[in-house]
Amino acid sequence: MDTTDLTTAPAGSKTIATTTKTVLREAGIGIALIALIIVFSFTPHFLSSSNVTNILTQVTINLVLSIGMTFVILIGGIDLSVGSVLSFCAVVAGTVMTLPGLDPAVAVFLATISAIVAGIGFGLLNGLISAWWAIPSFIVTLGTLNIARGAALQVTNASTIYSFPAAFNAFGSQTFYGIPLLFLIALVLVAIGWFVLTKTVFGRVLYGIGNNEEAARLAGHNVFFYKVAAFTICGVLVGIGAIIYMARLNIASPIIGIGFELNAIAAVIIGGTSLSGGRGSVVGTLLGACIIGVLANGLILLGLSDFMRQMITGFVIILAVILDKYRERLTKA
Amino acid sequence: MKFAHLIAASILVGTLAMPAASFAADKPVVGLVMKSLANEFFKNMLEGAKAHEAKRGDYTLKAVGMQSETDVETQINAIESFITQKVDAIVVAPSDSRALVPPIKRAVDAGITVVNFDVALDDKAKEEAGLKLAFVGPDNREGAKMAGDALAKKLGAGAKVVIIEGNPGADNAAQRKLGFMDSVAAGKLDLLDSRTAHWETEEANTVFSNMLTAHPDIQGVMAANDSMVLGVVKAIEAAGKTGKIEVVGFDNIPAVQPLLKEKKLLATVDQFGQLMAANAIDKALGVVAGGKPLEGWVKTDIKLVTSDDVK
Repeated sequence: MDTTDLTTAPAGSKTIATTTKTVLREAGIGIALIALIIVFSFTPHFLSSSNVTNILTQVTINLVLSIGMTFVILIGGIDLSVGSVLSFCAVVAGTVMTLPGLDPAVAVFLATISAIVAGIGFGLLNGLISAWWAIPSFIVTLGTLNIARGAALQVTNASTIYSFPAAFNAFGSQTFYGIPLLFLIALVLVAIGWFVLTKTVFGRVLYGIGNNEEAARLAGHNVFFYKVAAFTICGVLVGIGAIIYMARLNIASPIIGIGFELNAIAAVIIGGTSLSGGRGSVVGTLLGACIIGVLANGLILLGLSDFMRQMITGFVIILAVILDKYRERLTKA
Repeated sequence: MKFAHLIAASILVGTLAMPAASFAADKPVVGLVMKSLANEFFKNMLEGAKAHEAKRGDYTLKAVGMQSETDVETQINAIESFITQKVDAIVVAPSDSRALVPPIKRAVDAGITVVNFDVALDDKAKEEAGLKLAFVGPDNREGAKMAGDALAKKLGAGAKVVIIEGNPGADNAAQRKLGFMDSVAAGKLDLLDSRTAHWETEEANTVFSNMLTAHPDIQGVMAANDSMVLGVVKAIEAAGKTGKIEVVGFDNIPAVQPLLKEKKLLATVDQFGQLMAANAIDKALGVVAGGKPLEGWVKTDIKLVTSDDVK
């Protein structure tokens, strides 16, 4: 609710001081990640190349969803529907991919397009409804969470779709020098997200809306358009996330993705993006998703019980938000 | 205020609908209370029950499902509305083995024949409520032991194995874990780790990959359901250990049939879910027709499924 000078600043006029602040903010999260890695590196196997491959594989889906979630949270919104929409996109794509008589390459291509289109559909729905009637996106996406889940169950009659083309299955486990191909795709998406948010007018306006919607409106920006755009971008990423899920696990089912929205929100928040909007970055989100992934992996290698693991993950989320409060004060001073 | 209206309205609808129901040539009415129909297992079970209704033709089936696995409220409401409708029998797969005891007691007191299937009600809760009720269902512990024994036979004594558990707190998850533990003891297996993946494919993939990193010498995996088997098998493929790690599962879902055929899955257990509700309905109708009341645990069929069973 505090207005900083950033709100009305035109694109490209960032001072050296604010750049330093941004770097400091992300460095903080980076240090946390490195500290975590150092702690876990004392357990055997943690730094082995196959374990690094595992962690990166396990981080990928959450990372892709978190990039989209960053856009939505930056404008002060939230998207609770991503897990259900992922499931809907996956069953649509799975249905297309297993259509009889299609050439495997054509089937995979059409499936990918249909997953993204389905994601865009739900993104538009979320954006249009929340922006047009000025309904909190929390409520709207709670509704679409149920719509998407119900639709996924309806389309499949609650059954699991499996047996995708062998080439698609192989693509999902491809690695380059130990780095999973799917993770590299996610990294490209992070780079695109970073570019859009920091190097384009479009991105700066999104920050502006998150900081002070009214000021952005008075500055002549079409706030309605930007809000719908943010949710639609999130939808595109959910569609891509669905294809990545299918490539990794070789199934599509209407009951997958339950709770994925919470992991994505956690990654964004741990990554230093403010829940009230206007502050944060996709690079932070990348680090946040890695922290969650490293924690889940390291705690199993340490041999901690499932219940302890769940508790520690909870503590880390709270700790991240508290640290963020201090960082905010520090960088403002 | 609004709520009172709603309740009044639903009671009114219930009483209005009742004469119409009993009008239908005096066929007995069976109320079926199911778990989440989003779960393929229960959806198939419901379809099996509907086919059974059409085949027998001498009773009317009314089925209610839940939104999610833990939606206890819907089940309680369903039983209460069945009591109001004065159905002849209620066949229930409880989502919670304690919370469902009081409404079931009310149904029994109202003279309705109740059959408990799939998951057994808690003995202590039944005793406290003064409820005597038989259970019709498979022995999950025995089934898990069949799968575990198949693994032990294949690998031999001393083999290093892990367990992927179902939801902590769920009765069938606990029973299956006990069954696997029985096999570990009987086959002298070396149990390295046991963790939950909450019945889920993606989580099982993640959890098992991490277990495999911690214990690269794992030789066998016992997963408490087949959805988790899908994730485990993908993790084995990703680690390049196909053929070096044997997997057993539970449920015999369609998606694992190719895995059985390719011998990526050693064995799974079929508890004939599709017939489970239908069997319980048969038992209930037997009592309604004047048969002897059921007692204790009426065990239903379970079968070990291997690649030999897949054509």
